[in-house]
Amino acid sequence: MTNKKSWLYVFSAPVLIALFCVVILPLLFGVYYSFTDWDGVTVNGFVGFQNYLNVFKDPGFRQALWFTTKFSVVSIILINVIGLGLALLVTQKFKGTSLLRTIFFMPNLIGGLILGFIWQFVFIKAFASFGNLVGIESLQTWLSTTQTGFWALVIVMCWQMSGYIMVIYISYLQSVDVSLLEAASLDGANDWQQFWKIKFPMIMPGFTVSLFMTLSNCFKLYDQNLSLTGGGPYNSTQMVAMNIFNTAFSQNKMGYAQAKAVIFFIIVAVISLTQVYMTKKKEVEV
Amino acid sequence: MKTSFKKIGLGLFVAGLTLSLAACGNSGTDKQADGKKTTTVDIFQFKVEFNDQFKQVAKDYEEEHPGVKINISTVGGGDDYGAALKTKFASGEEPAIFNIGGPEDLKTWKKYLADVSDTKAAENALEGTLNGVKKDDKVLGLPYNMEGYGLLYNKKVFKEAGIKVEDIKTQEDLRAAAETLDKKKKELGLEAVFALPAKETWVTGLHSSNLFIAPEFDNDVNKTYEAKEVSFKYGKEFKEYIDVQQEYSVQPTTSLDYSKQMEELFSNGKVAMTQQGNWVYGTIEEIDEEFAEENVGILPVPVNGVSENKIPVGVPNYWAVNKNKDEKVQKEARKFMDWLYTSDEGKEAVLEEFKFIPAYSGYDTDKIADPLSKQVYEYSKDGNATGWVFMGYPTDWGMNVLGAGIQKYVSDNASWDEVVKEAQEQWKTSRQ
Repeated sequence: MTNKKSWLYVFSAPVLIALFCVVILPLLFGVYYSFTDWDGVTVNGFVGFQNYLNVFKDPGFRQALWFTTKFSVVSIILINVIGLGLALLVTQKFKGTSLLRTIFFMPNLIGGLILGFIWQFVFIKAFASFGNLVGIESLQTWLSTTQTGFWALVIVMCWQMSGYIMVIYISYLQSVDVSLLEAASLDGANDWQQFWKIKFPMIMPGFTVSLFMTLSNCFKLYDQNLSLTGGGPYNSTQMVAMNIFNTAFSQNKMGYAQAKAVIFFIIVAVISLTQVYMTKKKEVEV
Repeated sequence: MKTSFKKIGLGLFVAGLTLSLAACGNSGTDKQADGKKTTTVDIFQFKVEFNDQFKQVAKDYEEEHPGVKINISTVGGGDDYGAALKTKFASGEEPAIFNIGGPEDLKTWKKYLADVSDTKAAENALEGTLNGVKKDDKVLGLPYNMEGYGLLYNKKVFKEAGIKVEDIKTQEDLRAAAETLDKKKKELGLEAVFALPAKETWVTGLHSSNLFIAPEFDNDVNKTYEAKEVSFKYGKEFKEYIDVQQEYSVQPTTSLDYSKQMEELFSNGKVAMTQQGNWVYGTIEEIDEEFAEENVGILPVPVNGVSENKIPVGVPNYWAVNKNKDEKVQKEARKFMDWLYTSDEGKEAVLEEFKFIPAYSGYDTDKIADPLSKQVYEYSKDGNATGWVFMGYPTDWGMNVLGAGIQKYVSDNASWDEVVKEAQEQWKTSRQ
């Protein structure tokens, strides 16, 4: 027993060490810096909790946090609904499902920055000329107002992540025991009932994973935000990650940005851990 | 047997630990390790546009000066450069020569900046070009070049519309010209008169605002940097300048960016005027060489009560020498800078390869490569230049407060007074 345990330590050591070096240490450094007046070059002094107090007085940060939350809620729901929908579609029995899977997954292979620039073109050019044609003004100014900018971000995020989430759901859907479904259909359950009463509970673990992934990805989004709207107009579509980056590198307030980052870390950690705990409880054992 | 495995395992564990810890701690020790005679001067700079030419010139220098290696790396763009430079310093790979922008950078990097007042380049720097980097008799940077901006206008369109640039002396004249152009825009093939790139907050928040804030601080960047408050003495004129552009611009301005402004609209003759500087010449040239050569002029932005026929000319960036480096490296770095800006070969490269407007005396200015730069140089030579003070704004104030405020204003989400008030308050807070 003890032997087995010590082997466990030995084999997990490389990973643990790597994790310690690239995650834990920087985190500790980060927490340390958040208590200082650091401008990225010199630590000018220890300021205690001043940075943290300032964060709560910072309207820009509050606004970014609120915007990020709204964005995340809408995106998480849409991505999971679309992802599950696509998964159900391509697990049906008809020709071309594997081709469809590939197509749906493809957006995820394009990097976020490039994707943002491609969609920027779509929003500014394609949307505008379509808007011109049918005379809808909001289509012509798609990236230049806060509301439409918000939806632009949601659209791109869904387009990119749905395929990925679809793959996760496919794997869970395929692992649902066929005998259960057969038994249900013998008992007279229709497709709808089969989905809600059998498939849905069976793929609960899939929800845990997918929700966690979409949640953390949406909250930490930076690249699409940068390439699509750049936070504009007037920083109203700025998300938290971008707010932190700008505080650090364009305002030269590294220490203050660190404090924001620590707070952001805590928020994301609490939300995702709660989510994992709650969805885990709903999972069923066969 | 089992215990021996355990020991091996433990040994591996310890070895792995030490290795990775060593990897963590191994930074910033070997700055100048080679005992040989070559001295390496690492240059970390931000001007992407002339990277290739600069590297070529450095190679020529290496050939002429055996024993010196010039190592150039480039990271472009404002914020990215700042972030990358900090990373360089934090990782211990400190460059010998790097770029600073003005008073704010002077403060950030003060413990690294060497006094370069003894260089020949500093001696030859044109009057006023060292203002931003002087501190108690010390000169802490050497100017790159000079740049200037104003309203770029399409000469052909102006001619066809019968507008003479010399006649535009006041803001009323500018508005009148815009009205005339607007009436004829169908015949002239224009989409609109102006392109106001409100998305690019550096255009509105830094360059436009400079026109109207500089007179308040006597065109002095240091005065601006020390000012506790900004009064927007010429706020009304500033508003009119934004208004006239917004009214006659291609819409929506809040998502109009640099590439749309220059490449799509101005270079293709879709707008008659837009505010930019001589640095855009390369961009226009890529789209339409003939247009760039023949058809682009700079119209000084009139500011009622302050300036007619004057354009702001300034130094966008400075070279700084790292004080922390070896004496020898520092010496070679200075030598290279002197060579670049004061030797005959260097001068030729600066004018013809880099296409700079020189910030130093002793140049054959007839050789200034492009017509835009030439015009800027003429203004400067004739004493018709005002200064750049936006490097003295509070950090990020120009772009993120004022520039963002102007976005709010042009999209009808705030009144001008609100924008001004917010900007004033932010200035005050950051200068406390």
